[in-house]
Parts: sequence; C-alpha cells; structure tokens
Amino acid sequence: MRLSPQAVCITLLATLFNLAHADVARPNIVLILADDLGFSDIASYGSEIQTPSLDALAASGISFTNYHTAASCAPTRAMLLTGVDSHKNGVPNIPESIPPAHQVHENYRGVLSRNVVTVASLLQNAGYHTYMAGKWHLGKARDELPYRRGFSRTITLADTGADNWEQKPYIPIYEKANWFADGEETTLPEDFYSSEFLIDKTIEFIDSNADSQPFFAYIPFQAVHIPVQAPKEFTDKYLDTYQQGWTALREQRQKRSKELGIIPANAEMQTMSSTHDWDSLSAEEKRFHAKRMAIYAGMVDAMDHHIGRLVAHLKATGRYDNTIFIFSSDNGSEATGGDNPRSLLNRLGLRMQGYTNDYDTLGSKGSFNTIGPSFASAAASPLAYYKFYAGEGGMRVPLIIAGKPISDKAKLSNAFTFVTDITPTILEFTSTPAPTEFFGGRRIVPMIGRSLAALSRGEVEQVYTESDYIGYELGGNAALFQGPYKIVKNRGPVGDSEWHLFNIVDDPGETNDLREAMPDKLADLLEHYHQYAAENGVLDVPANFNGTTQVAINGIRDRFGKQLLVLLLTSIICGVFYILYRRK
Amino acid sequence: MLKLLRIIVALPAILFLIIGLQWAVDPAAAAESLGMPLLDGLGRSSQMADTGALFIAMGLMILSGLLTGRKTWFYAPALMLFLAAALRLIAWLIHGAAFAPDLIAVEIVVGSLLLISSQKLADKQ
Repeated sequence: MRLSPQAVCITLLATLFNLAHADVARPNIVLILADDLGFSDIASYGSEIQTPSLDALAASGISFTNYHTAASCAPTRAMLLTGVDSHKNGVPNIPESIPPAHQVHENYRGVLSRNVVTVASLLQNAGYHTYMAGKWHLGKARDELPYRRGFSRTITLADTGADNWEQKPYIPIYEKANWFADGEETTLPEDFYSSEFLIDKTIEFIDSNADSQPFFAYIPFQAVHIPVQAPKEFTDKYLDTYQQGWTALREQRQKRSKELGIIPANAEMQTMSSTHDWDSLSAEEKRFHAKRMAIYAGMVDAMDHHIGRLVAHLKATGRYDNTIFIFSSDNGSEATGGDNPRSLLNRLGLRMQGYTNDYDTLGSKGSFNTIGPSFASAAASPLAYYKFYAGEGGMRVPLIIAGKPISDKAKLSNAFTFVTDITPTILEFTSTPAPTEFFGGRRIVPMIGRSLAALSRGEVEQVYTESDYIGYELGGNAALFQGPYKIVKNRGPVGDSEWHLFNIVDDPGETNDLREAMPDKLADLLEHYHQYAAENGVLDVPANFNGTTQVAINGIRDRFGKQLLVLLLTSIICGVFYILYRRK
Repeated sequence: MLKLLRIIVALPAILFLIIGLQWAVDPAAAAESLGMPLLDGLGRSSQMADTGALFIAMGLMILSGLLTGRKTWFYAPALMLFLAAALRLIAWLIHGAAFAPDLIAVEIVVGSLLLISSQKLADKQ
C-alpha cells in the first residue's frame, strides 16, 4: 500500500491529537503518605488538630473509615506500591527487625523484591512522569532505590526515619541519615525542615516537565515519625490544648468521630493497659507531656500546611482540575518513647546521640521528642492498640481519595479496604493496564488488591464480599478479615498472644470479644488464616521474639559487627599470648 | 615499674593488631582510618596484604618480645616505626604529601619505647 504525503500528514496529526487528548484525559496522581499518623489525627476524622488542606480534600472526595494497612511502615509501603502481600513482595517486616533465622529466606530480606513491579514502573511505562520525595525504606543499595523502581526523579530517605531539621540519624543503628537524590548520595540544605523540603522538591519536579504528559507524585512524609519535631509557629498554637491529658483527649476524639460519622454512634472504647493515670502526674509532668503532644500536633499541622502549598501550586499552574489526590498513613500512631522520657537514663542516651529533650527547646533542632504510649492511644482514638500491633489502632488509618476527576462532594465509606488496593485503584484511574504474568521480561507475583475506583465514584458500596478473606501478619502479630469480622492476635508486651474475634464494623474499638459467642466463626477464620499463612510463606517468629530488641541486635550487628569481630580476634590473639606468658 | 612498662608496651601491640585485623575484616574502614581510599583490583590486594601484614606483624613481634624476653623481637617493630616516620618526612618534603606531625611523633615515641623495652625488659626476663 502506498500513502500520499497528505494522507501521512493527516494520519500523524490524528495520532498526535489522540495522544494529546489521551494525556488530557489521564489524570495526575498525587499519593501522599503520612508516617505513623493515628486514625483520628486529622480534623475530618475527629481531631482537634487544624488540617484545613486535608479537610478540603475530604470535603470534595471520599473518606474511608475502614481502611487498613500493615502495622509497621516498610510492609505497608511495599504493599502500597505493588498491590502484593508483604510476604510475597520481600518486605514482611522492617529489615531492621527481621530475625537472622528469617533473613535467609528470599522474601524475608526486608527489601522490595524484583519479583514485584511498582505502580511507578507501570505508570512510567505508560508515559507518566514519576516523582518521589520522601521516605523509601524498601532497600538502600544502589539498585534497590526508587530511582531503579520506576521513579524518574527522586529525593529519598532510605532509612526508617531521620531527623526533621538536619541530616542526622535519629537512632544509633545508623551511622548517618542516608538521603539520595536520583539514586546518588546527597546532602540536605542548611535550612532543611522535612515537610517543607519534600513539598519544595515535589513542586520542583512537577515544574521541571512542561510537556503534556501527566505525572505521578509520591510524597511519603517523615511527619509524624519520631523524632517528633515541628516549627515553633505551628507548635505554639497547641501549647494549651493538651493540658487535660491523654484520657480526656481520647474521649474527646471518640465523641467527635461519632459526630462526624466516622464510627458508629454506639461504639465502645477500651482503655489500653499501657495508658498511665494522668491525674497521678505532677503539674510539672503534665506541662511537659502536654508540650510533647503540642509538638506532635504542630508537626501534623505543618504537614497539612505544606500539602496546602502543593494544592495551591497545582491550582495556580492549571493542573489541579486534572489531579487525583490520595492521602493516607502507613500505620497507626507510634508509642515509642515511654511516658518517662525525662529519666536520667533516657537523657543520657539522647545526649550520646547529640539530642536533648529539655522543655524549652523541645521540638526544635537538636531536640528529640516522642509522644509515648498514652498519647499514642489518644492519637489512635477510639481504636485499641497502636503501631506494630494488629489491633485496629495499629492498622486502621485515614484514607482520603479526592479530586475533580472523581467527585466534588464529600462522601464517607465504611467498606473494608486494604493497602494492597491502592495500586489497582491508581491503575484504573489512569487507565493503565495491570501487569499480567510478566513485566520487563521477568515473571512477577500478581497483585491481590482490588480497585477502589468504582467505590470512590459511588458506583458500588463494597469491593470485598463475605466470601473474601484477607490475611495479615507482621512480627507474630496477626489478623484475618472477613466481612465485618476480624480475628486478631497480638503478642507482648501489650497483647496476650491469643486469638480474639471482633465485629469491627459495629465495634471498631475491639471491646466485645465474640470468640465465646461465635466459636464456629472463630474456627472458620482461624482455618482461613492458617491457609493464608501457608500460601504466603509466613514464618513463625521465634518464641522470645521482641521487635524492639531485634532492631537493637540487628543494628549492633550491622553497624558494629565488623568492629566487634576485630576486637574478638584481637582478644583471642592477646589471650593466647597471655596464657603462654603466665605458664612461662 | 617493669609491670607498668609491660602494660604500656602491650597497648601499641594491641592497637597494631586491631588495625591489621581491620584490614582483613573491614578494609574500607581501615583505609579510611589511615586517610586513604580503598583501591580496586590488584591495588586493593597490595593495600590489604602489605598494610595488614605490617601492622599484624608489628603487634605479634611486640607480644613475642613481651612473652620471650628476647630483645631482638623489639628491634624489628622499632625499625619499622622509625622507617615509617622517616618515609613520612620524605613524602612531605619531596613528594607533596600532607605533613603528619602527630603520626610521626607517635611512631618515634613508640619506636623509642620499644628500644627502651628491649633493654629494660629483656635484661630482666
């Protein structure tokens, strides 16, 4: 067949028009992930913290009240970006907490497996610009960084966390804070504050491409992971807010979340065994704890402020109307830090890391702040437990999907949803085909998540049916969801290592254990959990496993193992000489 | 007094062993501690073998001197340390290397200490 020049021109123009039209139709995606943000930490979920930017998103989109993640960050991030169960994507726990006996297994390295494909790779393959600014924590070797996993522009922290004011590790298992820019080690600017910096970089990435291709921007904030730090102007707004303490705050948020329809009006709430008696504290102690929480609120507020800057920028540059926003947290609130952070031992430990926790400077550069288990329970109100535990407080977090391409009015959904659903949802929003058996010539593990696109548009009420069973395990804490039911097992020190059965739709606070009343349901769910564990290669944790202790052991081994080996060899040599000397 | 001298002499021996063994276990850190990059290929082989052997041998010879009481065991490490100090001066004066007065001082002091030990400790064993 021979085409005339006119026909070729017309065909080319038509193709270009179709491409341009397709790109206009394909929305930009902004995926925002807070770190350790509790279920009721934003205003539209019952918080007293001012989050107008997120409230605006919630007011024009759908807020999910029964959305679950893993109870720890890296497994959530791996599932979020791949739609694959954490036991099959290589990250069943944070690498720092995986026992050595498990690390020999291919899927227990704590590094995102090459047998899964990220949503960024799929979107990049579909012509999207793909950006990431924030915490990665899915591998720190050169070919494990996001730059090699589908993101074309990146500024990323490879570790569990880091200081928010400077390039400094927050715990001694790290020699330095490992930040990378486009796959190369980088140095942070002098005026660094994490939330501000990450949004600045995102805006810079977005503005760097003026073509018509849509973009996918993944923004995993450091906020509000420890160390809890915030600019004074944000913290000062909350200095008087928490004077009544954690129990009053937990009750206040429960009341508010009922008013907002986030939980049923008759939902009960339990008091965690790790919650201390506020009234037994001295006035000085109350003042200190209230400031700890005020800084946390300031950090959430600052994150919201910078999200608002991004939204404003997208509006100013004409991109907003074609952008879908997805906001969530990686797990529930973080209880680390105890309720006595001013003890001599704590302060000495902080000093050794170059930190202080004096009242006056708390939250600023050089200070180390946490909220401890009692305020963490308030941040997870009205749910039980918090980060690391399989209780709702560790796994249920806010999820907002908003943007003009989907909706322009507020909706609430209490449908069960899981973190593996986010990648399929983004693929559907962007009309990107899900991978089949192979991607890039490599056989890949198929996604298990379900798209929430129809749910977001109000076309369906549920994406999981009564016949669907969703299993979960992390560090020996485990759960299985089916319909409104959930079986859950939490290990110590807060849990009892026994299975319990709850109806988490009617009873999100997990106050009414149904295992005695519904033994058949318990047996059925247990059977399905064991099936899930077998199919996904879940390994039993050692009997005495403790996540925090394991982090310390692995950290010492990774950071000081070689030095310890040198000292051991030196000691052996010197010991032999000493024995010979004594015998002589 | 002699016991104190033995302890003082044992300290650099232990330090030399640590530095030498570090070349075997963690060569990147060992190279960094001596202000040099870790080389690749044959360069890394020579770097690890020569530097590691030097330090381990010095440590073992000093310990052997303390164990046997033979003065000759102290001479070799003392000679190596004096030569190291001399070569540092040559490197600085002729070849543009950085001046390292603290390291030169340590090498001369420890070398001298070993010579003193060869007299004091060997005679008393």
